[in-house]
Amino acid sequence: MLSLNTLIAVILGYAVLLFTIAFWAERRAQAGRISWLRSPFIYTLSISVYCTGWTFYGAVGSAARNGFEFVTIYLGPTLVFIGWWWLLRKLLRIGRTQRITSIADLISSRYGKSTTLAVLVTLLAVIGSTPYIALQLQSITLSFSVFESGGNANLTAFWVAAGLAVFTILFGTRNVDANERHHGVVTAIAIEAVVKLVALFLVGVFVVWGIAGGPAEIFAKAPPEMLRGDSIFSARWVSLTMLSAMAIITLPRMFQVIVVENADEKHLATASWAFPGYLLLMSLFVLPIAIMGNALMPEGANPDLYVLSLPLSQGQENLALLAFLGGFSSATSMVIIAAIALSTMVSNHIIMPLWLRFAPQRTETSGDVRTILLRSRRLSIAGILLLGYLYFRITGGSGALASIGLIAFAGMAQIIPSLLGGVFWRGATRTGAMLGLLFGFALWAYTLFLPSFEGSFILSQSVIENGPFGLTFLTPNALFGLTGYDPLVHSLFWSMTLNVTLFILGSLLSTPTPLERIQSSQFVDVFRLDQSTGSYLVSRSATSEDLFTLAQRILGADPAQRLFSEMAQQQGKAMGLPDATDKLVQTLERELAGSVGAASAHAMVSQIAGGGTVSVDELMNIADETAQIVEYSQQLENQSHRLELAMQELRGANAQLTEMGAQKDAFLSQVSHELRTPMTSIRSFSEILRDSDGLDLPDAKRFLGIIQDESVRLTRLLDEILDLSHLESGRGQLLLEPVVLQNAIEKALSVMGALLEEAEIVVENKLPDESVVVLANFDRLAQVFINLISNTVKYGRGEGPKLDISLSITEAYATVIMADNGPGITAADSKKVFEKFTRLSEASLAGSAGLGLPISREIMRNLQGDLTLKPSRQGAVFEVRIPLI
Amino acid sequence: MSSLDLADVATRKRKLREAALLLPLFGAFLLVSPLITVFTGFTTVFGLPLIFVYIFGVWLGLVLIARAMARRLEKS
Repeated sequence: MLSLNTLIAVILGYAVLLFTIAFWAERRAQAGRISWLRSPFIYTLSISVYCTGWTFYGAVGSAARNGFEFVTIYLGPTLVFIGWWWLLRKLLRIGRTQRITSIADLISSRYGKSTTLAVLVTLLAVIGSTPYIALQLQSITLSFSVFESGGNANLTAFWVAAGLAVFTILFGTRNVDANERHHGVVTAIAIEAVVKLVALFLVGVFVVWGIAGGPAEIFAKAPPEMLRGDSIFSARWVSLTMLSAMAIITLPRMFQVIVVENADEKHLATASWAFPGYLLLMSLFVLPIAIMGNALMPEGANPDLYVLSLPLSQGQENLALLAFLGGFSSATSMVIIAAIALSTMVSNHIIMPLWLRFAPQRTETSGDVRTILLRSRRLSIAGILLLGYLYFRITGGSGALASIGLIAFAGMAQIIPSLLGGVFWRGATRTGAMLGLLFGFALWAYTLFLPSFEGSFILSQSVIENGPFGLTFLTPNALFGLTGYDPLVHSLFWSMTLNVTLFILGSLLSTPTPLERIQSSQFVDVFRLDQSTGSYLVSRSATSEDLFTLAQRILGADPAQRLFSEMAQQQGKAMGLPDATDKLVQTLERELAGSVGAASAHAMVSQIAGGGTVSVDELMNIADETAQIVEYSQQLENQSHRLELAMQELRGANAQLTEMGAQKDAFLSQVSHELRTPMTSIRSFSEILRDSDGLDLPDAKRFLGIIQDESVRLTRLLDEILDLSHLESGRGQLLLEPVVLQNAIEKALSVMGALLEEAEIVVENKLPDESVVVLANFDRLAQVFINLISNTVKYGRGEGPKLDISLSITEAYATVIMADNGPGITAADSKKVFEKFTRLSEASLAGSAGLGLPISREIMRNLQGDLTLKPSRQGAVFEVRIPLI
Repeated sequence: MSSLDLADVATRKRKLREAALLLPLFGAFLLVSPLITVFTGFTTVFGLPLIFVYIFGVWLGLVLIARAMARRLEKS
């Protein structure tokens, strides 16, 4: 038989090992070498804190009593984990973006950062977890008693609780930020997870192949009723699976390891199959051990301790010692994590709000809040362990291990409707959550928790059996006459029914506050929103100095400095504090939430920043801002559209300019060509005059005449060019006067009379007799007509040449139409006639530089009229439009 | 990669996600429904009771499928 001293030595040695490992991991993490500590398998192993002393000892006990039923406790988590994509992934993302510190924080944060809800869930968690911690203490003392029956159970439990408190305080409260992973603790938990798996596995192997001759022999010993269908699938089977599935999410310690301690979302993908695999291995040998225990152990032996007593009865002391360490690991790891999770909740949701309420001015003036936080967390840990110890002392190890565990499960499961509703249903409100939780929990306490004391706590034995005041329909185990069911199924049915109903009804009938609405979309749409959109929370009365002081006191001087200079840089400030923008307030609140929980962080920041919740006015402002942004973006759109148009215009103008440039080049080359012709003849004739001596006078005179003619032509050409450029530039304002149209035409006809006669052109003047007065310049107008007539003389002569001059009068204009019967102008040429120096396809007649028509058009345009060429069947038809007076 | 392939990949990803949602329901159907009573009784497989083989076999199967899917989901 192992002596107690050996046992204590082994435990102490194991504890020292765990302390060393935790210390080493913490040091490594501080040095930044955490790659190994962050592996997905460490994460998976830390989740196995689900398998407590209850699993290690109790599962075999449960299997010995109820056969296959123990499997349900592992099937529930298995289903939740293989469905990780659906729920766990979302919880992890929400936990990350909202900096969630606990299950109470999650519920409170979702329902408008409500302090009341946080307190409620925290209380539920403490009430639900205390028996569970007591259970672990009990399992350790029980396992002691196997080795040393005479030991003082209470003393053992006390020292175990004290040791655990020291470990948890040492490694669980190094940092105030609950979002920081507790590397030391998690690594130690992972080691313990390996120890308990190996221990149970080895005991199983020993039982199956060491004691018995293989699995077949063992199952031959199984009682026949264990394999009957109705003993396996039942309401209890379904309830237990559901219960364990809910517990894996809501138990404070599970939430702590799955969500809060998670270092990387990707680790969940590995845990999704590795954790169910771990559970599978843990439960593989449970049934064989239970069957063998039933067969071999004497009547009255505690089935919960078969794992220890079986190897001991076979003289395998070392194996028993290993099994003992496995059970010790299971129990301690649960207590450590539960204490961390609960202390975070208690200090964040109960102590901090109280401190804030009773010392409102102190947030601004007092010293380091961190010390207070850490101290409250340490005290909470000690308090929680003390509570567990007291519970153990008072109940004195009543009931089987498994039933206490299931009662705790059923209590924490009351959170599930509010949790699932909060994560998937936007319409869930605080009122609904509060009603559901409160009544669900009350009913759980009445129908399951209190009766479990068997009359020694609040409910007397007679009330448990016959209902209060003799009202039998209120009997805790048969509410409203629902009998014939297992108490657990019965309690779960009523509490969940009331919980879900009140949650849904309460949500439908109440109106959420603005903050709740914002948080609900932050939770439900967490994958769509990401972190970019924050909650618009606080009015802008905060000064950045106040916020900085607050941050310093909660985050510590260095992290606060880092956070604020980062924000200042983001705002584009090289030094100094950032402006107290909404974004700064949001970021700060989120950082603080990592330390003290969402509700407290919100309360603290609001205290400094003014308005506690979003008022309708502020929401209106937000809406206004949104509207302004929409309007602004519309304006931008319009502007860009306008820019597009302007660009098109510019492009057109550019094309026009390019064309004009080309025209100018063409014009210059034309001009030089036109000037060259007369210059050439002047030069050659003057050379002849100079060089030929025997030139007779008539010849010389003729040559001089030619020179004279060419000079005149040259001069006229230059005049015309000057005139045209003058007109085109619009610099020469023509003097406008009332002009009798007929007179101008008469003038032109008389000037051109000789030429017309020479060309034998018959002019048919169809102008009316009464004089038409237009607003024009007489000389210029006459010039236009002269040009047109001269054009007819040059190009417009047909068979029996004639020129029709007629007049049509519209409201504001008089239009003179001059039509000849010449060859006309083709459609292709009709545009070119008004271009400079264009002399259509015909050979040019001497004396014209081709500027007549362009000049005429310019004149008419300067006179506010126009000169156009009308398409016609025969001959050229020009229309001169002149404004009437 | 052509656009058809891209559409293919997107469809496959969507189906994978839907399968990930269905897996726990499928598991619940196998393990938490009256179906389980079909496998009870005194039949044995290699000396083991059928119900034992069934429960742990389905469990192992779920773990393996979850592993295969987790690897693919992780990639996508």
